[in-house]
Amino acid sequence: MISDFLEADLTDLSWLISTRELSSTEVVTAALERLGRLEPKLNAFITVLDEQARAAAKTADDEIAHGRHRGPLHGIPITIKDMFATSGVRTTGASKILLDWVPNFDAHIVERLDAAGAILIGKTNLDEFGHGGTSTLSHFGPVHNPWNTERIAGGSSGGSAAAVAARIGPLSYGTETGSSVRRPASYCGIVGFKPTFGIISRHGSFRGAWSQDHVGIFARSVKDVALGLDATAGYDSRDPSSVQQNSPTYASHLDGNVKGLRLAVPRRFLEGTESAVKEAFETALKALAEAGCVIDDLDIPELSYAAMTSMITSSAESAGINRRWFRERHQDFVPHVARGLAVGMTITASEYLTVQRARHRIREALHEAYKKTDLIVSPTTPRVAPPISEGVKGNGDDTRHASNNHSNLLRFPSMLGLPGCSLPCGISPDQMPIGMQLIGAWFSDQTVLNAGLAYQSLSDSHRLKPPIEQ
Amino acid sequence: MSEKDRCAHRLALLGDVEFSTTDREVIASEIAEMERILTELEEFAQDTPWVSLQAQPIEKTLDHD
Repeated sequence: MISDFLEADLTDLSWLISTRELSSTEVVTAALERLGRLEPKLNAFITVLDEQARAAAKTADDEIAHGRHRGPLHGIPITIKDMFATSGVRTTGASKILLDWVPNFDAHIVERLDAAGAILIGKTNLDEFGHGGTSTLSHFGPVHNPWNTERIAGGSSGGSAAAVAARIGPLSYGTETGSSVRRPASYCGIVGFKPTFGIISRHGSFRGAWSQDHVGIFARSVKDVALGLDATAGYDSRDPSSVQQNSPTYASHLDGNVKGLRLAVPRRFLEGTESAVKEAFETALKALAEAGCVIDDLDIPELSYAAMTSMITSSAESAGINRRWFRERHQDFVPHVARGLAVGMTITASEYLTVQRARHRIREALHEAYKKTDLIVSPTTPRVAPPISEGVKGNGDDTRHASNNHSNLLRFPSMLGLPGCSLPCGISPDQMPIGMQLIGAWFSDQTVLNAGLAYQSLSDSHRLKPPIEQ
Repeated sequence: MSEKDRCAHRLALLGDVEFSTTDREVIASEIAEMERILTELEEFAQDTPWVSLQAQPIEKTLDHD
């Protein structure tokens, strides 16, 4: 019975709790028990909030029993990346530097989730301060993929992705500076969504790179992502990039009708993609075409420079963010991260601005591209999750030259602030999940979610379950 | 300035921060890589008049209806 309701998605769990067919206490207890059983295999968590979560669940049950149901997240067990400040609960960024730091304030998303009645059961593992694409660069050791614990979960939000894939809570929040939501979502076979820059406030989150950081959401269905977005989107004066917006209503505006929606495939960047990934992607495109999407190829040569522009930008900005710690405590950083910061420290202001000119040129190219298409679609990653032994070397697939390398497709959405979603679209012969990403124009978050919903109504890939403790 | 001198100039920017010889070699190799990237990007950005600094004007209101 316990495993049955942990299998339910957020939408169904919410209904069961609101109608009191299930109590929040039952669901939270089951999620904590599952976490306890799987954590030795996954290493997905840095801090588990056992007592606090059980007490909050009891409060939620009392409120609901008295007719005070706060909404779809009320009583639902959730997790967040340990990048977000939590009042009274240690917040480490997976770094030795902040091993015992206990903030006296909550991050914006923590405030919002608390107001929505969500129950925080744990803070998830990551690459130190978000600097990495593997979730192996953590002071607390690597996160393991629930589909195969010898493989990486992807990063930097790997603990969040692994937790949702392993059915430890239906919803988790991470951050993305390069590809840190979409990549782990793809590797772990779940949905990962990063909204347009400014939609969710980053107040109270460690900075990876000011101009590229986003808060993102993990779930197993697009509908659940939309519910998670409604709960946390909105203007916040504490984040200078926050967008003025009315109360968000993404979930209620979900519409799976994609007739006439224009999808473009930037094929030059798919060279080198594994055959199983290519095959799953082409099958997904066929399904979307049958649903009414108009699919075409679109060449955007400027994207050849996206990965290196993004990497130099984040390298310089992260050096600026960590300047003091680097000077005073560089030996306490994970070695790979410390070396990356050292390189960033040597970038001059004029070099940084040159790179921002390159970034502007790529931005202009994308402005033009989105006059011809509604969404840019591609495999999220060119291959399935690599072994941990390979992942510990750093960022995995990233390129450092102007090239047709796929990592340009991973990097451009965060660099330009575009909304993007990775969806499961197949499984490889070695039983690892494959992801497809949909990238929209600025503020077309609803279109991205609608297309994702349409695809999930045509596919069963998001219902596949990792073999860990089946 | 030779590549070696440019690298030494950049490493001097690290000030008093000490790294092991092995780490310094890795950092020097990364710096050489970065210099190649910067050369490519400078060429690519040559005719672009503006810089891109991603920040949302706060007067914009997003209407969800």
